[in-house]
Amino acid sequence: MHFAAAKGSLNGLILNLQRQGFTVVGPSLAEGVVRLKELKGAGDLASGVVDIQGPGSYVLGGESASVFASVNGPDSPKMYLHPGEVELSRLVDKGSGVEPVSVFRSDKKYAFFGIRPCDLRGVEVMDRTMLMPGFEDPIYSALRHDSIFIVANCTRAGENCFCASMGTGPAAESGYDVALTELPQKLLYDIPERSMGLFQGIELRPATEEELHEGEEMVRRTRERMGRTISAKDPARRMYAALDSRVWEKAAERCLACANCTMVCPTCFCNTIVDRTDLRDASVSRVRVWDSCLSKDFVYSAGGNPRQDRISRYRQFVMHKFAYWPDEFGTYGCVGCGRCITWCPVGIDITDTVNGVLKDLHDSANKLEAGPVV
Amino acid sequence: MSRLALHAFSRGTVRQVRRETPDTFTLVLDLGERRTPADFMPGQFNMLYVFGVGEVPISVASSRREKLLMHTVRSVGTVTSLLTKLSVGESIGVRGPFGRGWPVAEADGKQLLIIAGGLGLPPLRPVIEEAIAKPGRIAGVKILYGARTPDDLIYTHEYPTWQGADGCDLHLTVDRGNGAWRGNVGVVTTLFPKAGIDPGNAIAFICGPELMLKFSILELLKMGVPAEKIFISLERNMSCASGTCGHCQLGPLFICRDGPVFSYPRVKDFFPKEGI
Repeated sequence: MHFAAAKGSLNGLILNLQRQGFTVVGPSLAEGVVRLKELKGAGDLASGVVDIQGPGSYVLGGESASVFASVNGPDSPKMYLHPGEVELSRLVDKGSGVEPVSVFRSDKKYAFFGIRPCDLRGVEVMDRTMLMPGFEDPIYSALRHDSIFIVANCTRAGENCFCASMGTGPAAESGYDVALTELPQKLLYDIPERSMGLFQGIELRPATEEELHEGEEMVRRTRERMGRTISAKDPARRMYAALDSRVWEKAAERCLACANCTMVCPTCFCNTIVDRTDLRDASVSRVRVWDSCLSKDFVYSAGGNPRQDRISRYRQFVMHKFAYWPDEFGTYGCVGCGRCITWCPVGIDITDTVNGVLKDLHDSANKLEAGPVV
Repeated sequence: MSRLALHAFSRGTVRQVRRETPDTFTLVLDLGERRTPADFMPGQFNMLYVFGVGEVPISVASSRREKLLMHTVRSVGTVTSLLTKLSVGESIGVRGPFGRGWPVAEADGKQLLIIAGGLGLPPLRPVIEEAIAKPGRIAGVKILYGARTPDDLIYTHEYPTWQGADGCDLHLTVDRGNGAWRGNVGVVTTLFPKAGIDPGNAIAFICGPELMLKFSILELLKMGVPAEKIFISLERNMSCASGTCGHCQLGPLFICRDGPVFSYPRVKDFFPKEGI
């Protein structure tokens, strides 16, 4: 059902969510960046804050009358559902053998509030890896369980956004618990029947045809003004043919292998388990930390290091998103959020790389067709 | 495997430590009453955990018929060097089994080629043990095993049993001989022409260094062994062993979850290929 409400309704919705036991997390201004933080009320939202993003750049500028004026910052729901650092267990050696003294538990349930459609899809992509039948990750499963998504459809495209190419936005099509579209003077809420309980005591009225049309128009304009595009509709199969393209070398030339792209990526899941010892009580904490395929020792083993050079590591990052993921999980690993472009210190643009690789393939195919000049 | 078991350890108490070579040892582990080697399929692996130090993926070397679990470990890094220094009575954490093992049922009625290089033999040992225990089912077992030097050959005390088993023969080779060595010198593929391989009816299980895998596959294909009858076990860095840490990815495959044993056609686009 579609409803219209005043912008003031956001505060009531946040309070309702808290009353139902949710930890509400949404875009909030912190350290000069829009981050995903716990919200006490609508006053914590980064209202009117406009982010201007470019390759390797993120600045806040201008002012807006919109509550959801910023696109997205470095944080995605990943940092809550698959935290950068989490203790799996704490062990002690009791002489007779190793005994766990604690194992991971969580009673939190998250409401992701005002996150973007690309990030909702990012969680669905992460689910494929972390909740694969028979291989469910117990930590992710515990944190993800019961979380709900109040998605804000995008009425402004960021400079590095390409969700339209990846089919993940600018409006959410499914999987949300509530989807909202912000019009200049009010909010449109798309509320499935099961979520009506979240709106208790909030003044809603059925949205008019004109209002719905206005919302759709804003989303349509956002799609048209998308900052970036991927040139092919379904590039996965063709990317396989491009493993030997020279474009990888060119793109990776500037790569510092700093791993920022994989840290901010909403779908990058790679991690490593480390042991931290504590001299005070001789206990060991088994901690899972994010890791990255860009790191040199990521694939190192007794048999050697199959990805010695930066080129092969950068290629792994891009190929995984655009070719391997569709084969492994039936969906692209990239949701077009543009974060890896923004937070790359040297501004490497993944859309340039993919488009470059596809163009290189196209050009070499043409050369073959033309045949040798006799 | 239940969810929690993915990160939970069984306690493995060391019952015996057998020195195979100066740097390679076989640990015989007791997992207690509730778990026996019958739970571990040939070709699967366990994560072995040294308290406070870390885990390593190591193939299961015992067969399902044996009483205790066996792992053969070469001292290479921090964890493996500690594993090889364990004494009888000490215990480690054992997490597993993980992965898909050898398709042992597919070998019924076939000539089974066990091709191993160096420390590639342990994951194939249970296949050998189970095959020679039921001689009628398989049309011959040919073990083709190569190591760097005669001193690097492992499981030497088992060779007489393997040699003496019905329909089983063992062919050894070393890269460099020594004064006492009277056997074959050369890479493992130099054994192929002498071993009486029946390409039309053969099924090959191969494990060893990647280069050895590559050339063994090429040679078998050349001899006429169908690609889909060639199975290899691959090795990569592993942390979670359950398809969520990303370390062992090979193209669209997770070696821990989809492997470590693969039919050659399944991996041929990515193996062997530089930098994948």
